[in-house]
Amino acid sequence: MTNNRRLIVGFATLAVIAAIWYVMTEATGWISPGRFPTPLDTWDALSQVTFGEYANGALYEHAFHSVKLVLLGFMVAAGIGVPLGLLMGWNSKAEALINPIFLLIRPIPPLAWIPLAILWLGLGDAAKVMVIWFAAFVPSVVNSYTGVKAIDPAVIEAVRMLGTPRWRFIREVMIPAALPMIFTGLRLSLQASWTTLVAAELVGALYGLGRVLNVAQQDIYPGMILVGMISVAILGWATTMILGQVEQRSLRWMQVRG
Amino acid sequence: MASIEFSSVGKVFNRAGIDFVTLDGVDLSVAEKEFVAIVGPSGCGKTTCLRMAAGFEFPTLGTVKVNYRDVTAPGPDRAVVFQQFALFPWKTVAQNIELGLRNKGVPKVERQERVKNAIALMSLQGYESAYPHQLSGGMQQRVAIARAYVLEPEVLLMDEPFGALDAQTRVSMQEELVRLARVNPRTVLFITHAVEEAVYLADRVAIMTKRPGRIKEIIDIKSVRLAEKWDEHERIEDVMDLESFVHLRTHIWRSLREEKGSQVH
Ligand SMILES: Nc1ncnc2c1ncn2[C@@H]1O[C@H](COP(=O)(O)OP(=O)(O)OP(=O)(O)O)[C@@H](O)[C@H]1O
Ligand SMILES: [Mg+2]
Repeated sequence: MTNNRRLIVGFATLAVIAAIWYVMTEATGWISPGRFPTPLDTWDALSQVTFGEYANGALYEHAFHSVKLVLLGFMVAAGIGVPLGLLMGWNSKAEALINPIFLLIRPIPPLAWIPLAILWLGLGDAAKVMVIWFAAFVPSVVNSYTGVKAIDPAVIEAVRMLGTPRWRFIREVMIPAALPMIFTGLRLSLQASWTTLVAAELVGALYGLGRVLNVAQQDIYPGMILVGMISVAILGWATTMILGQVEQRSLRWMQVRG
Repeated sequence: MASIEFSSVGKVFNRAGIDFVTLDGVDLSVAEKEFVAIVGPSGCGKTTCLRMAAGFEFPTLGTVKVNYRDVTAPGPDRAVVFQQFALFPWKTVAQNIELGLRNKGVPKVERQERVKNAIALMSLQGYESAYPHQLSGGMQQRVAIARAYVLEPEVLLMDEPFGALDAQTRVSMQEELVRLARVNPRTVLFITHAVEEAVYLADRVAIMTKRPGRIKEIIDIKSVRLAEKWDEHERIEDVMDLESFVHLRTHIWRSLREEKGSQVH
């Protein structure tokens, strides 16, 4: 019921925005079409890039390419970052060893790596994955680390009192206890992955939604810019949704109410 | 034949560079299968004593031995019921209780049987698959007690285990503990603020001084209990009415009040 109502309200909001958009551009011309596209321009741009080509490819090719790179970068970053964060939270030697490296790298904004990445790896996929990795890595590590550090010391004592072997502690206590924070980190990592990918593609790329945006800007083609922006928004939202589903499934014990 | 033995135990905590003498020469021994309760003013070091027997904390001076060996680490032979439960929120009630048995390598069939018994003992039937946050504070505490009982440990260390229970549940848990102690006596070190509880449950009651804590006085309850046949009374309130009970309780109460009275705040 509430879900349905939320959906209806959502659609109503979108419809109102579309109506205002139409009135402001097409109907009255208060906003000049050179600055912001009319709904019709946007529709034309969408069908052009969907059924034809723009910036070396069709929309689905650009989208597929971007999603592939985001997921690749995100998964490499999370796959290394989460275990590393857990290790740092658990083992003070690992913490002492790795923390200085972090303090050095962390102040550098991930986007500042883009020129270096392109210089090293060219305009291809490898450079993008590297930049995403830099951006997505930090939140995964930091939040997993915090999750372990925040485990109730009394719980750790109970674990020791019960004679829990190390691997069981890791699997059944440390990871479940840190899981809410791990997911917080993953969500931040995913957002960072999209941000950096689009930025990296804007700077230099052969395919991808960022490339579409870049070419559309050079062509002064507002309709296509909007199509690119909306595509990024939808895909970012969809990947976040999927991650949210996984999170809900994994943290079921937190949701059950008696 | 002491099962737990504190010999001239001193403990100094360092907080912000300042040494706090918490325990100063604690001597106390708990014989095998004996039930000893510790009472004392808040902050006198009761929990610290228990934590040293558990192996979470170590004496600055003196020794703490369990079964004639220095305590070096915690272990399932000394089951602890923590003052703040310390349950695993992501595990169900049954899983919480079962973990210690799994760690010991108890076969599955026996494990399930023992978990079932512990759940029945603590009147937690029907909540096997509930998560801790779905239970009341008193029920959570019962899970913590079941998690310790199920191990059938040589030594039970209980830190105000009935503190969070409502009066009625508390009484039935106390009666249950007395019944268990008769059927299957264990070595128990039990901390409480409730003097009546200490007198009702314990073989001996150790009274501690205010910080720095020492054992001020040890009251033998068991001889009185046997002489006055407390065990013939089923209910706690009947025992509490007995003159011998009231006498002991009042004595301990006075002794404690002296400590509290001289406390500097
Ligand atoms: N880890 C610690 N670091 C510093 N001081 C500590 C530590 N643990 C306990 N203390 C101090 O030691 C003293 C005794 O603490 P303890 O918890 O043993 O008291 P207690 O008798 O159990 O009190 P209560 O009845 O309130 O539970 C307190 O002053 C406390 O602040
Ligand atoms: Mg205490």
